[in-house]
Amino acid sequence: MKESYRLAGDDELVKASLKGDKLAFSEIVNRYRKMVARTVKGMLGDSVYSEDIGQEVFVNLYNSLPEFRGDAKLSTYIQRIAVNLTLNEIKRRKRFFSMFSHKGGDEMSEIEIADPENEEKREAKEVVNKVLMSLDPKFRIIVVMRLLQGYSTKETAETLGLPLGTVLSRLSRAQEQLKEMLGKL
Amino acid sequence: MKPEEIKRIISESIKGDYDTGKIPEILENEGVSYDFGKGFTEKVIGRLSGISLTMKGDAEFRRSLNFAFYRIALTGAAAIVILLISLFLMQDSFSFNSLLGIGDSVDESIVYLITGF
Repeated sequence: MKESYRLAGDDELVKASLKGDKLAFSEIVNRYRKMVARTVKGMLGDSVYSEDIGQEVFVNLYNSLPEFRGDAKLSTYIQRIAVNLTLNEIKRRKRFFSMFSHKGGDEMSEIEIADPENEEKREAKEVVNKVLMSLDPKFRIIVVMRLLQGYSTKETAETLGLPLGTVLSRLSRAQEQLKEMLGKL
Repeated sequence: MKPEEIKRIISESIKGDYDTGKIPEILENEGVSYDFGKGFTEKVIGRLSGISLTMKGDAEFRRSLNFAFYRIALTGAAAIVILLISLFLMQDSFSFNSLLGIGDSVDESIVYLITGF
């Protein structure tokens, strides 16, 4: 990979990608893959489907780059694509599973722990995954933004395109759901 | 970090006014990290190359089709012109009957209709 792209700003990478420079786009993928993984895997669980959705996020980004005007940060733009795709996937799973069983699609998410270094770390990830999966998707997305992305309530609202008041009320509803869940763990 | 501590962090993160900026880093240090598998970037680029190859293939096919159609249309037009010239040379006219290969003589038609020969 071109060394210059490692130091390049997002604007430069976007411009080069628009000209068809795949190396520049590779740098965008490398730069934001962890951020996308936190959203997608936080929402869907650690499964092979999450990997597919992650790829889909970047393919969609590449195809929509000509429409990216730079009004928002590139990270926010990618995050929005990731959120939309994961929420659509949850809806699709719910529809699919409601046709064949009375269980919700969310419950089918696999939670796999990749290479746990020790029991304590494995447990920590298990607790986080269990807590996230226990939440309703509309509350879960807000907790993912706060807990895994470290966003403020304002940033969460901007990324999700929701009014600040809605985010705050969903956070308090999530708090109620979590209190019960954390007690059981 | 003990699970109790993780639970406390989760609870804190949901409070609207809590500064969550450092939480992802703390969790990552405790093994709560997320990433895609090996070769993820290559797979994405592979999918993009696949898309552009398909698009290139489609464009190539359309171009070939246009070229073939152009050639067929030209050959067809030339054949029609030759047919018209040969008809004119044989029948000395461009009338509808000459196009259908029927003679212009009314008598012949009447004789045919009456006798069947």
